Amino acid sequence: MLRHTMLFLGYELGNLRRNPAWPLLGIMQPVLYLLLFAPLLTKLTPGGTLSEALVVFTPAALVMIALFGSMFTGFGMINETRNGVLERLAVSQAWRPSIVLGRVAKDMIMLVLQSLLVLGVASLMGLRISLSAMGLMLLLMAVTGLFAANLSYGLALSIRDENGMSQIVQFFLLPLMLLSGLMLPISLGPDWMQAVAKFNPLYYAVEAGRALFAGDFSSGTIPTAFALFLVLGVLTLTWSVRSLRKLAG
Amino acid sequence: MIIEAQGLRKTFTARRGRGKAEEVEAVRGIDLSVGEGEIFAALGPNGAGKTTTVRMLATFTVPTAGTARVAGYDVVTDAAKVRERIGYVSQAGGVDDNAPGLESLVLAARLAGASRRDALARAGELLETFSLTEVANRPARTLSGGQKRRFALAIGLVNRPPLVFLDEPTTGLDPQNRANLWEEIRALRDAGTSVLLTTHYLDEADALCDRLVIIDHGLIVAEGTPGGLKKEIAGDVVTLRTDDPAAARELLAAQPYIAETRLEGEVLRAYLDDGEHSLPALLRALESGGVSIGSISLDRATLDDVFLKHTGRSLRDAA
Repeated sequence: MLRHTMLFLGYELGNLRRNPAWPLLGIMQPVLYLLLFAPLLTKLTPGGTLSEALVVFTPAALVMIALFGSMFTGFGMINETRNGVLERLAVSQAWRPSIVLGRVAKDMIMLVLQSLLVLGVASLMGLRISLSAMGLMLLLMAVTGLFAANLSYGLALSIRDENGMSQIVQFFLLPLMLLSGLMLPISLGPDWMQAVAKFNPLYYAVEAGRALFAGDFSSGTIPTAFALFLVLGVLTLTWSVRSLRKLAG
Repeated sequence: MIIEAQGLRKTFTARRGRGKAEEVEAVRGIDLSVGEGEIFAALGPNGAGKTTTVRMLATFTVPTAGTARVAGYDVVTDAAKVRERIGYVSQAGGVDDNAPGLESLVLAARLAGASRRDALARAGELLETFSLTEVANRPARTLSGGQKRRFALAIGLVNRPPLVFLDEPTTGLDPQNRANLWEEIRALRDAGTSVLLTTHYLDEADALCDRLVIIDHGLIVAEGTPGGLKKEIAGDVVTLRTDDPAAARELLAAQPYIAETRLEGEVLRAYLDDGEHSLPALLRALESGGVSIGSISLDRATLDDVFLKHTGRSLRDAA
């Protein structure tokens, strides 16, 4: 079972290595936000410095890659429902969950690598955080990717239509982004917004990231975020593997 | 018997608009038995239920009713054992466009349990067999239709299965590639592999298979060898267009050498043995009956005539 997952992962990483342009393009958006949006937050921080603004905004830039990258990863699988690849794998000796898991593992690795690059840009701009904060943040990104990629594959296998899928992802993306406090902390908003944000899993990722970057390791948001994404990751994985079975009608 | 199926049925629930569910009976009770080392064909028009039948036998789709044993195991309760013993090449092929064909081939071999070294060796062997060595490292999207189809076949054979399913293996191929693929399928049989293929090409079933079933509307309408099925009808067929087909039919049906007549729109077919010798008599009969001939041809009876006999329509017209 692990063997099959690793085989699919190796295959997917091979494809990624042969065509690394897209994941690199994927970090352009968060990098631009770091360069052109983070400076706007400088005046809102107590000390009024860019490095303080980066502590607040860099976690958001990382979650952005998960949101705009991993959420779209399922598009490739829609094509595989038509070109016979999934049909063939479904009747091969492959352990079925590994078909999805191997791809999700690739997305998690890609997300961590992209996050490292964005963190590199942020540190060039003056972000200073501890290595343990960085390590935990990368782990947090991995579990966020577990959830986002599984959700994307589940959607792809259920909808099986590029147009429908892009409409649905777009429909959810903006409210999820705005209600996660990604651009500005939700604590600046009114009570009702803070209440609604509690139902948005990404809110916890952003909050936990900010706690980590601020060096506040005892914050309850950190274990909450990890637990939440692990549970959601398992649920969405189950869903996408079940959807794989429904391909046969 | 490498395949034994009894009473296979599959009903799909199709959604038509808002909330309206419609039951579609794709397969309505199919019995099949395929012997080891046979090329067995399921011939029928598009939508006859061939693909659904193959998908049930290959453990992709769970039957609504009926049972099937493939390579000695039940397709529902022992699906994993069946999957170890089959190769399945779907109509779409299932070759990943974004990766080199070699990568797909090696992955398939390793999923079937081979070590990296054995997988590479097996891949090399198959590339050689299907003349794909030179294009092995090119992304599959840059390959021709024929090359891609050969890759699909190679991937299906990677675990040396005793049985392969080929769903419409030559659809979309040009005549040269089709002929080559037929050769490769015959070579499989000669190496002891059993083949179940579906096709809507009459000539393909006729030229390639040892035995076949004709499937129409989810049911088997005829079963036998190509020669045996054609023998059920007379050996030759005269196809006629005349100004008065009904009168011509009545006239010909009364002739002693005519076995059977069929009228399909404007086209009249008369079945007879030993056509070359009876043709002059047939022409005289038409002439003396005052029927004027628009066109006439004499051919050997084909599987299409078998199909016509059992379904009342020609496979060429059946959509």
